[in-house]
Amino acid sequence: MEKQVIKADPKKWFALYGTLLYQHALPRVNDVEIAEDLVQETFLSALKGLDGYKGEASEKNWLFTILKNKIVDFYRKKATEQSFMSMPDLRAAENDWFDKEGNWAENRMPKDWHASDNPTERKEIQKIINSCKDHLKALQQHVFTLKYLEDLESEEICKVLNITPSNYWVLIHRARLQMRDCVEHYWLKN
Amino acid sequence: MMKYLMLNCKEATILMAKKEEGKLSILGKMQLSMHTSMCSFCKKFEQQTKQISKESKHVHAEESMSAVANDRIIKMIDEHSF
Repeated sequence: MEKQVIKADPKKWFALYGTLLYQHALPRVNDVEIAEDLVQETFLSALKGLDGYKGEASEKNWLFTILKNKIVDFYRKKATEQSFMSMPDLRAAENDWFDKEGNWAENRMPKDWHASDNPTERKEIQKIINSCKDHLKALQQHVFTLKYLEDLESEEICKVLNITPSNYWVLIHRARLQMRDCVEHYWLKN
Repeated sequence: MMKYLMLNCKEATILMAKKEEGKLSILGKMQLSMHTSMCSFCKKFEQQTKQISKESKHVHAEESMSAVANDRIIKMIDEHSF
């Protein structure tokens, strides 16, 4: 059988995946214009790299990989720009969550709930996660987004955000405590 | 001896984040599972946090791009295609 010649059609790609890419980017950068720019840059990089595109990965995966790199670059740049900002004081970061013995503080104890696997509940919890993420303080939000929305490893996040591993673990611990608490609040309210 | 092996809830929740990345020693794993088998709060914390971590990857916006940006990108693609 003759091998099928892969013909790149960026305009069709945009029609098919433009909205998906944008909807992926927006919660990860929290800014409409930046999300639009990242999608535009994704297609620009794709157009420039067309020769290198062998059709091995699906077009969709290829575009999402380019976008992921753009999102990580966005955080890298942000970290350089904000390097004058001092690290928040992390020593007492968990004091409101646990008592002196390190047990859960009375008003912070996890309650009984979980979301089932049905599409409606999953969609609901994803929406709640999205809005709870916006309540996190800047650096915690960056760490949470890169770790859980973009699925990066801790070492890479430390490099991108220019933070030490020990600061990373404090930030991610605090973000996890706060996110779970916030998701619980909205989940039980509904 | 046992006292030194027992974690409190604060330590247990820190170890959970490390466990998620496979960065926990065998001793740490044992301490953690010992703690969560006895502490229902930390057990819930672990399950709920796992769910949040799993669903976070699928978080996306509902709205579409503005028409202006949409047209701008189509124009750019046209200019770069032949």
